[in-house]
Amino acid sequence: MILANNITLSYDNKKNIIENANFNIKAKDFIFISGSSGSGKSTLLKAFYGELYIKSGHLLVNKTDLSKKNYNKLLTLRKDLGIVFQDYKLIKDYTIEDNIMLPLKVHNYDDTVCKTQVKKLLKHVKLSHKVGAYPEELSGGEQQRVAVARALAHNPSVIFADEPTGNLDDYSSDVIWKLLKNANEILGITVVVVTHRIPQDLGIKYRRFNIDEGVVYEAS
Amino acid sequence: MKLLKSFISFTFPLIIMLFIFSIYLLVDKVVNSYKHSIANDYAIVVITNTPFITIDEIADMPIKDIEQLSRTKIIEGIKDNLSHSSLELLNKKLPYFYKIHLEEFPTTLKLEQIRKELKQMTNIKRIETFSSDHNQIYSLLILIQDIVFILFMVVLALSLLLLSKQIKIWFFEHNERISIIQLHGGSLLYSSKPILKTILLSAVVSSAIVISLLIIVVNNISLFVQPEILTIMPKVIHLEFEIFQIFVLSFVIPLITFFGLLIQYKSK
Repeated sequence: MILANNITLSYDNKKNIIENANFNIKAKDFIFISGSSGSGKSTLLKAFYGELYIKSGHLLVNKTDLSKKNYNKLLTLRKDLGIVFQDYKLIKDYTIEDNIMLPLKVHNYDDTVCKTQVKKLLKHVKLSHKVGAYPEELSGGEQQRVAVARALAHNPSVIFADEPTGNLDDYSSDVIWKLLKNANEILGITVVVVTHRIPQDLGIKYRRFNIDEGVVYEAS
Repeated sequence: MKLLKSFISFTFPLIIMLFIFSIYLLVDKVVNSYKHSIANDYAIVVITNTPFITIDEIADMPIKDIEQLSRTKIIEGIKDNLSHSSLELLNKKLPYFYKIHLEEFPTTLKLEQIRKELKQMTNIKRIETFSSDHNQIYSLLILIQDIVFILFMVVLALSLLLLSKQIKIWFFEHNERISIIQLHGGSLLYSSKPILKTILLSAVVSSAIVISLLIIVVNNISLFVQPEILTIMPKVIHLEFEIFQIFVLSFVIPLITFFGLLIQYKSK
């Protein structure tokens, strides 16, 4: 699923954020990437979805070699990913249905399929009563549920979540963790979450990678 | 309101550019029609001792027709004043008269070349070009045609600048949306669809305005030009091809600008 071989990451070739990292993430794994603020957790995640090119080494995500710059291959890879951000990254002038529909539209699904899937997902994230609303009309927790629904819409093989509960209260955080856990357990989606706070009672078997001073290691 | 303002900022230079282009097309059509009509009316007369050899072109200008003036008609006109013996002598000595019709009306420079080339032919006695009457108006029209073309090129350059500036602003405004769509695997073209839609709408609106204006001007041409100018204009101006050209240009210019900036944006 994800194979990192001696990868080094840096912004604009300045100081290395991650150095010579080696790890392997298998399909259906639930992964936490933790570390202190500024340790490079989000940087590593950005490399997974091609927002940041690696400086050296080899990185394979879903058999796509991200050490080679190829815009079209990157877009093809991203079509098979679900991404959840701390700041939700919802399109403000789209309704929540249109936001959830986005990956389906990118895949060229027809309108009927899109509408059915959106209806199902809105019910799944308990936002059916918010049909027609715009992101700004929702609370932070609700917006993040929309973002998770969008990440699940096209049944991706992997979901990357960057501090998905970072801006949320305890109740909303629990809802998001439950949604990610179900995605992994029920749908068999690989989930990679960057967080500085791993929930105690998640009730799922997971692997944890820690980043300390640019070194990535798997914590027991 | 903001949307309307940015739409107008894009559409306005496009309308100005198309309007100048339509003026250029109109002037070009009128000048070409005038060129054609004076070329039809115009002929160089040559007087030769022996029958003229048929030639296809002279001074690189294609010859439309060489018409021999009837000698009998010339003699008929003056025979009443001549004695029988003089008439016989005239019949023997009268040279051959030819009218050379050209495909195009020649410029002064070309006319000089034609005169030189004709003079080199040994059997030619005299050449008459009768060009001075037409030449001034013709040169003036060519000048107007050139000025309008230069004006169009300047306006085109300025419009391209303004259009690209507005498209850049739209890319900046849609930057967040574009990056979110790209994060979900949407191509840059897909994520810029709203910009492309606005550009296409603007092209339709601009071409509709300019084509309507052009049709109004052409149908009421007497209100816009001096009566003297009307005499040199074609009686009926058919604009089908010009309308098609304006319509195509209204799409081509903004789309070239858009795709140029799209490539620039992609390479970033």
